[in-house]
Order: sequence, then C-alpha cells, then structure tokens
Amino acid sequence: MLSVRDLKVSYGGIEVVHGVSLDVAAGECVALIGANGAGKSSTLKAICGLVPAAGGSIAFEGNDITRASGHAIVRAGITMCPEGRQVFPQMSVIQNLRMGAYTRNDSEQEADLSRMMDMFPILRERQSQAAGKLSGGEQEMLAIARALMARPRICLFDEPSLGLAPKIVASVFETLARIKAMGVTILLVEQNSMMALNLADRAYLFEAGRIVMEGAAGALKNHPDVMRAYLGH
Amino acid sequence: MLIEILQQTINGLAIGGVYVLIALGLTTVFGILGIAHFAHGSISMFGGYLTYFLATSQGLPVLAAIPVALLAGFLLGVLVEILAYRPVRNANHINAFIVALGLTMMVEGINLQLFGHEQVVIPTGLTRVFRLGGITVPELRLYVIVAAIVLVVAMMIFVERTKTGQAIRAVAENRDAAILMGVNVRTIPLIVFGMSTALGVAAGIMVGALFAIAPGIGEGLVVKGFAVLILGGLGSFPGAILGGTVLGITESIAAGFISSAYKDVIAFVVMILVLLIRPQGLLGRAP
Repeated sequence: MLSVRDLKVSYGGIEVVHGVSLDVAAGECVALIGANGAGKSSTLKAICGLVPAAGGSIAFEGNDITRASGHAIVRAGITMCPEGRQVFPQMSVIQNLRMGAYTRNDSEQEADLSRMMDMFPILRERQSQAAGKLSGGEQEMLAIARALMARPRICLFDEPSLGLAPKIVASVFETLARIKAMGVTILLVEQNSMMALNLADRAYLFEAGRIVMEGAAGALKNHPDVMRAYLGH
Repeated sequence: MLIEILQQTINGLAIGGVYVLIALGLTTVFGILGIAHFAHGSISMFGGYLTYFLATSQGLPVLAAIPVALLAGFLLGVLVEILAYRPVRNANHINAFIVALGLTMMVEGINLQLFGHEQVVIPTGLTRVFRLGGITVPELRLYVIVAAIVLVVAMMIFVERTKTGQAIRAVAENRDAAILMGVNVRTIPLIVFGMSTALGVAAGIMVGALFAIAPGIGEGLVVKGFAVLILGGLGSFPGAILGGTVLGITESIAAGFISSAYKDVIAFVVMILVLLIRPQGLLGRAP
C-alpha cells in the first residue's frame, strides 16, 4: 500500500535520514522505533509532505507521491495524527473534529462525528469547549479522533504517547489497538518501544537516520540487541 | 447633555464601522500570514476613488458602482498576495515589512497619478435627515452603520459556519496541522487577501461618501486600523469589532465635547490608558 524507497531527508543541507526503505501493506500495523533523533518523525513528515524528500521515492497505492503537496497527499488517503497533538486551540472540540473531515464531501460526516464521540465520550462532554482548554490526554484523544474523521486509508501516528502520564499512555495504546481492530492501516512512530512492539505486526528499528533492523514485532521484541538498548532489559 | 452624548455616539458608530472593516481585514491577514499589511489603507482608498470615478466620469449609479469596486477590490487583493507577498513568504519577516511599505508608496503614487490630488466626495444623493427625539441622524450615516453591521455579520458567518472559513481559522491557529487536514495553504491566503481588500474597499467607499478621499487619508486610516487591532487584542475578531467601535465613539465624543482638533490625540490617549491596564488589549488573551 505504502512503499518508501531510499528516502533521504535533510534540514538546511544537513541530512538526517540517509536512505530508508520501508513498506506497509493494507490492514497492517507497522511501528518505527528507535531513539530520539533517529529520523523516525522526519520519515513520517516526508511521507505526508510536511518536509520535502531530498532523495528517494514514496509511492502510495502505486502512485508516486514523492513531490505531491501536503493537501494532495491527504486527499489521496494518508492522514497523520501529529506529534504534540497540534489541535486548533481556540476552535471548539467539534470544530476541530469537523476540520478532520475537511477533504470529505459525503453525507456521512455527521454520523462519523457522533461515532467518534461515542468512542471518546469526553469529546462529547466537551464538544463546545475550546480545544486548548483540554488536558494533554484529552487533546491526544481529540487529535486521534480528528485524524480518523478523514476516513484515512492509512493513518500515521507520530509519537502519540509523548509527554503524557503513564496511565494516559496506556489508554492511548488501548485506543490504537481498537483502531487497529477496526481494520485501519497504521504506521506508528513511537519512542515507547515496548508499547509499540506489543501493538504492531511488524517494526523497523531506526538508528542515526538508517534502518538497522526490521521484522515481525514479536521477533524484534525478543532480539537481544533491541532488548538491551530499547526495552531496558 | 445626554442627548449630545447619544448624538455623538451615533456619529461615532458610523466612523467606528469604517475602523472595524479596516481592522477586520488587517487582523485576518495578520492572523494567516503574520504580515503587517500597511498598504491596506491606500488600496482601500483606491476602491473609494474607483467608485467616485465610475459614478461621475462613467455616469454609473452609485449603487451599481459599489459592487464593481468591491469586486475590483477582491481581485486586487488576490494580485497583491501573488505579486507582492507570496515571493517573500518564506523569507525573513523584515522582507514582507519592506514590501508592505514599498507597496504603500506605490499605491499612493498610483492613486495620485490616476485620480489627482484634489479631494473627492462620492455623490450618493442621500441627503435626508431623520429626527428621533432630539437626535438627528443623516440617512447616509444610518446606511453606513447598517452596511457595516451587515458586512461584519456576513464575515463572522463565513468564518464560523463555512468550510472555507473554518480552514482560514485553522491556518491561522496552526498552519502545519491545517495542511494535515488537507487544507491547501496556497489558496487560503488568496481568499483572505481578496476578502480583506473587498472589506477595505467598502470602508474606503464609506469614507468617500461620509467625508472625502484625498491623498494621505489611507495611510492615516491604516494607522487607526492597527491601533484598533492593538486596542482590541491582536488576532481577535471580536476584539477588532469592539476596538473599532470604541475608537470611533471616543473620537466622536472627544470631537463633540472638547475639540475636533484634538480628537486623534484623545483617541490615542484612551488607547494608551487601556493598554496600561490591559496590555493584551480589550479582548486579547493574557500571555
């Protein structure tokens, strides 16, 4: 479904991703794990067109989207739930959710809206409050629901657990598991490697802008190097 | 005394409406692009001149000239975005600042070349005066107030209730997140500049009908517009509306009770006092 080949990303002439290749098949949940600054988030940002690819290619369902602009990529069916939540702080919860459906013209948006609020009852409770007034965990739920409002063919999650209390992190991962069970294709970037490997089908391990290991999540979880470096064993 | 205050308040509402329309344009442009669009006043005056030109030399009825000028304003706004501001979009902020100053001089020069240095008044033919109790309300002033309210309400409905309006807000609040929602951030500034300039032209027409248009008026107006933004709270829509109304009424009351020569001084003194107490502006958010 999504196929990245030899992708390079640089900021101001300094290359931070040195040619990574990865694939996500329809219905799969794939995790990118690794230390802070390993190039995981930059890879995601290049996929959704927020930063230009300095080299390599990105194809989605057979179409080359390497040079496509951000809004065109969303229309193609790729949605990202960004790092740090990035809700629209002064818009209400419900306005945020409606923005998620910006690219849609079908008549089922209202039904999806109430489905999201069933899934996250706190959002129904706070629907007319400014999004900026929600707690970090609530904002993360809003960001996830907003991303799903686009009815993406693949949903990218960039560090959904970052900056949240452990209890909230657990509930974020429960939510991701539910989304996975709904059949949504997921590409997840996460520093919390244990949580990510428990959720994912497959994973890629990033180190200093390169993929150093890939495979089934279960295999990576039991690999001695991964255990030592990332799982704290 | 009370009658006089009411009278000046009505007068102030008309000029306040002009300030609100100018400030709404400035605040939307500032919110989306972070640009202090100094040329806004001069372009607004161009719209006023254009209406005058169509209504006099071309013999168009004023009511027909106004929509033409508003449409011209929209297109002009789009052109300004493409030709003047888009090229410096990713450059240092000072570049857009210098472009804005240069554009102001250019448009002032164009106005002078095309329409001359004489002051002009748009001939509306609206000369009736309504009397209500002891208050006199010239019909023109009443229509200006009504038109300003209609435009402001229309703008609010557009921003709050339409998809494009919500996209404009989203870009202002978080540009990257708006891209992730699928908003085309290249077309949004075009709409914003078009709309803002059309609102500015409406204000220019009001100035031309109520008072007169002359070289330099536009620059004065844009300074007032920015004063309103700061008074109301930067980036706040309701703030711009409240700030513009307050500034208009303050000026009018100052002119009526003290001296019209001091009206600007008093208006700015009030503004400074407000900012001493509320540095974030009347409806701005505390930092």
